[in-house]
Amino acid sequence: MMKTVLGVLSVGLAAALGATAAAQTPVRGGSLTYTYHPEPTAMSTVSTTAVPVALVATKIYDSLLEWEGAEMKPVPGLAASWTRSDDGRTWTFKLRDGVKWHDGQPFTSADVKFSVENIAKAYHSRGRAHFGDVEAVETPDKSTVVFRLKAPVPYFIKAFQPTETPMLPVHKFAGVDLASAAAVRQAEVITRAPVGTGPFKLKEWQRGSHIILERNPDYWREGRPYLDQIILRVLPDGAARAIAFEKGEVDLAPQSALPEAELQRLGKLPGVVTSSAGTEALGPNLWLEVNLREPPLSDVRVRRAISMALDRSRIIDVIWYGYGKPGIGPIVSSDPNFFNKALKPYAYDPKKAGELLDEAGYKRGSDGVRFRITQNVLPYGENWTRLGEYVKQELSKLGIAVDTRSADLAGWLKTVYTDYNFHITSTFQHNYSDPTIGIERSYHSANIRPGAAFQNSMGYKNARVDQLFDLSKRELDPAKRKAQFDELQQIIHDEQPVIYLLEMQYVHLFHKRVHGLISNGISMYSNWANVWKEK
Amino acid sequence: MTSRLSYVALRALQVIPAVLAIAVLNFILLHMAPGDAADVIAGLSGHASAEMTAELRRSFGLDQPLIVQFFVYIGRLLTLDLGISLIQSRPVVELIAERMGATLILMLTAIGVAVGIGLLLGILAALRHRSWTDTALSVLALVVYATPQFWLGLMLIVFFSITLDIFPSGGMRTIGAEFGPIHSVLDVARHLVLPAGTLGLFYVALYTRLMRTSMLDIMTLDYITTARAKGMSELRIAFTHAARNALLPIVTLLGVQVGHLLGGSILVETVFGWPGLGRLVLDALLQRDLVLLLGILFISSVVVVLTNLLVDVIYGLLDPRLARK
Amino acid sequence: MTVQVASGVVSLWHRFRRNRAAVLGLAIMALIVLAAAFGPLLYPVDPFDMLGRPSTVPSQRFPLGTDVSGRDILAGLLHGARVSLLIGIAASLAATLVGLVVGALAGYFGGWLDAVLMRTTDFFLTIPSFVLAVLIVAIFQPSVLIITASIAVVSWPSVARLARAEFVSHQGRDYVDACRAMGMSNAEIMLRQILPNALPPVIVIASLMVATAILTESGLSFLGLGDPNIISWGYMIGVGRTVLRTAWWMSAIPGVTILITVLAINLVGEGLNEALNPRMRQR
Repeated sequence: MMKTVLGVLSVGLAAALGATAAAQTPVRGGSLTYTYHPEPTAMSTVSTTAVPVALVATKIYDSLLEWEGAEMKPVPGLAASWTRSDDGRTWTFKLRDGVKWHDGQPFTSADVKFSVENIAKAYHSRGRAHFGDVEAVETPDKSTVVFRLKAPVPYFIKAFQPTETPMLPVHKFAGVDLASAAAVRQAEVITRAPVGTGPFKLKEWQRGSHIILERNPDYWREGRPYLDQIILRVLPDGAARAIAFEKGEVDLAPQSALPEAELQRLGKLPGVVTSSAGTEALGPNLWLEVNLREPPLSDVRVRRAISMALDRSRIIDVIWYGYGKPGIGPIVSSDPNFFNKALKPYAYDPKKAGELLDEAGYKRGSDGVRFRITQNVLPYGENWTRLGEYVKQELSKLGIAVDTRSADLAGWLKTVYTDYNFHITSTFQHNYSDPTIGIERSYHSANIRPGAAFQNSMGYKNARVDQLFDLSKRELDPAKRKAQFDELQQIIHDEQPVIYLLEMQYVHLFHKRVHGLISNGISMYSNWANVWKEK
Repeated sequence: MTSRLSYVALRALQVIPAVLAIAVLNFILLHMAPGDAADVIAGLSGHASAEMTAELRRSFGLDQPLIVQFFVYIGRLLTLDLGISLIQSRPVVELIAERMGATLILMLTAIGVAVGIGLLLGILAALRHRSWTDTALSVLALVVYATPQFWLGLMLIVFFSITLDIFPSGGMRTIGAEFGPIHSVLDVARHLVLPAGTLGLFYVALYTRLMRTSMLDIMTLDYITTARAKGMSELRIAFTHAARNALLPIVTLLGVQVGHLLGGSILVETVFGWPGLGRLVLDALLQRDLVLLLGILFISSVVVVLTNLLVDVIYGLLDPRLARK
Repeated sequence: MTVQVASGVVSLWHRFRRNRAAVLGLAIMALIVLAAAFGPLLYPVDPFDMLGRPSTVPSQRFPLGTDVSGRDILAGLLHGARVSLLIGIAASLAATLVGLVVGALAGYFGGWLDAVLMRTTDFFLTIPSFVLAVLIVAIFQPSVLIITASIAVVSWPSVARLARAEFVSHQGRDYVDACRAMGMSNAEIMLRQILPNALPPVIVIASLMVATAILTESGLSFLGLGDPNIISWGYMIGVGRTVLRTAWWMSAIPGVTILITVLAINLVGEGLNEALNPRMRQR
């Protein structure tokens, strides 16, 4: 169940999994080379959780817990054990003994308190969501940490993922002004000289070219990691990344690092594994964000018509080369815990879409045009540009004239999330492992705040939806919580404040000689201590 | 001698207002862009609250009035402090220094080789004026001149890296390989061939055309005719008398082109994944890292202005009449 | 007057015709202009419409094949011709106009005006031109107008320098003094007397600038800084880049088209140079 296997390539993957199942003995040594672009801008996800940073930082900085399977079951890591009080307001973590930072200093409860209170809560982009209700962090001794919460937080434990709450060494922040975001971001351990507890440490960073991580000989888990080195090759051109992979210079292209056009071709090569397993706890969901303040888009019939006029299977097949599933609602169907299975995607029916628009009073003018809108395009590369072109083309057939506006990331963010100066725009959101963290930001009316990126830019306001989010945030009973999210998904699906197009599928491509990569719902953001490579 | 010295001093003094003007223009231009680094950092983290974005803006000083930001910027420039990159949180000087080497290697190789070959071909074409060699060279130069560089780069990758597999498709060195000093140089050289070739071909074409024209101009002058009358061979005339004077326009062009090096390399560095300044400029621009961008533009304009000064001085040495003017 | 102009054009054509390469260039140019003007009418296919399967090889239905989104490459080429030529010509005209005015004022009046204008010109020359174009387009957001303007902004200084040199050289000549003695105004002298003499080299450089402008536009589009509502040749190369390995022709076709166009313009420019500047005709 945890393995979402691509239909076309299932044979190859099954063979690969079979090989793993045959329990080959892991080999120590060797280096794993992966490629990604752009280059990381920092060495810690405190700076930004953008993919390139998350990929490299999670090998260096661990969080308190490790995670198993697509459902993301927490297992001991830096914390050897933990307990939750019955009212859900007190969490106690026992730390593992004898863990050392990369510089030889001991890892203690003071580091945990510091990492949560001073860093994650204050400066991590999801820090307030995770730790907003933390009243106090107590450290009765060097290996015990107690979190006291104002109110129960059902998803609290999920904060201790490596991207979310990396453990940072308090002794490296002497002299840093902790009240200044800029000062913290400029701390050496965050920008260029990381000191973590993870299985790998930074050896060399040649800007614009590569990063080399080397094995941490003092890693707390005996006999790990297997690899001697992890190398990142920064190649700005997609075709160049594909060539490097094809020539075997690169072992792994994680999380759709290659253009989809190349994935298909390279996936068929002997000895190459294509997999989109191991991203369940990310759940990327692509949609057209609609500015509900702007008539005629404020009319739900118009949004439904647009939703029916776009052919999701065409978008998947032609633009995303078959990778992905039709978008349905706010929670993606691959979410093993929260997806409402009663929901279906809007079916492609341009005729009915036209009728719906006629009915809503938007008849075609003498020039065949019903109304005009503008479209912004998320500046994340080729596919997004193609999608914008398709939307424009398809809507013009329906009688909606679309003027596409192009901007770079800074311009796009400001236009959409600060100025709200748009009609529709393509964008996407990660569901993450809990809906309160992942989706509330887009639909709760409290998140209609200029300047808040990737949040409720639509101006969507529904009292019942707000109420359901508020209730589920405190609900400790999993069944009740699921029911709340089911109702919420149904309402949002009906109202289409955004037009769901595609559940994106991140695809990892790797050579068969690499083992142990797919381990949980955030496989590429795991520390790879168990990854090994055949000689 | 004193007049020449004072000429140099005068030209050097003129550099200061030019550099300042460039700094001001860069500042104004870049601050007209919508969105700032706080937006980008907040956006990239995918989840930033409005408070977080505001806090970032405050700690970068981006919430200050423009005029305040401007004086902060100029103040720092005067103390030669280029600031700290907003996105990468590291000193701009360091970031530039890390990339400068790669760009210099690429550019100097491309231009150096191109000037050498271009000059020779130009002289050859001029000597064989109106022969088929001349025609063929001119046509070839024109064709190369008309080829989009980034496209040429892509085609070279297809042919030399994929089909023939003799050169790497990108990057500057084999990563992780432990080479001795000689092998390291050879390794970089291997990676250098395609990008430098792509850039270089264009400059070969340019300098061939320029040198040919320049030579033809000079070969009709009186003193050359005199040399001919004295019975000197065409080859000797070309290389001893004509070439030296024909070089003048080439030197001027070289001076101007130092500035274009950075620009020309954006495309080639993108295609070949060359870790140089061109990419850094583009990334900084797309991420609205204004501090970094201002730093790069400032350094590059200083380099251009200084090179032009140098060119003027060299020109003065080659042609003393100019210095006196 | 008209007779004079007509005979001037005829003799220009006679001189131009002697350069066979230039005539060939002119013929190619004419073909491209015709294709841009009438192609989309004769071959009415929307270049953005996903009509076929992605990345197909040339066939009867798609004479040049389809691109990564299943769009007709031939349609893209024809529509792209309009954009490339439009931007190339408009940017060059704008740059020539600005350059001429600046150069003429600086060269004719001299003194402090000359100093100020020329320092400004030099100043623009110090900023790497492609970087400046990228900056302008990224800052003001890509559209046909902004792209054209950015190319004009980076191109005018060379015209200004040339025009200044021409005006300076004519300024001191007898016929200009004579005109002044006759009581002609400065504007009249500049426009009616000097300009016609200064124009030939400017026309040559302007024609070559069209070629550079087309190349610059293609570079911008390649970096993703093109106008998203229109198709251009540089954009098509960018689209083909992702499938370079499997479908090299997708970027080769627009690439060769740009090459031929720019080459033709250069040939015409050289021909014009020889025809207009008799001093150099011997070459």
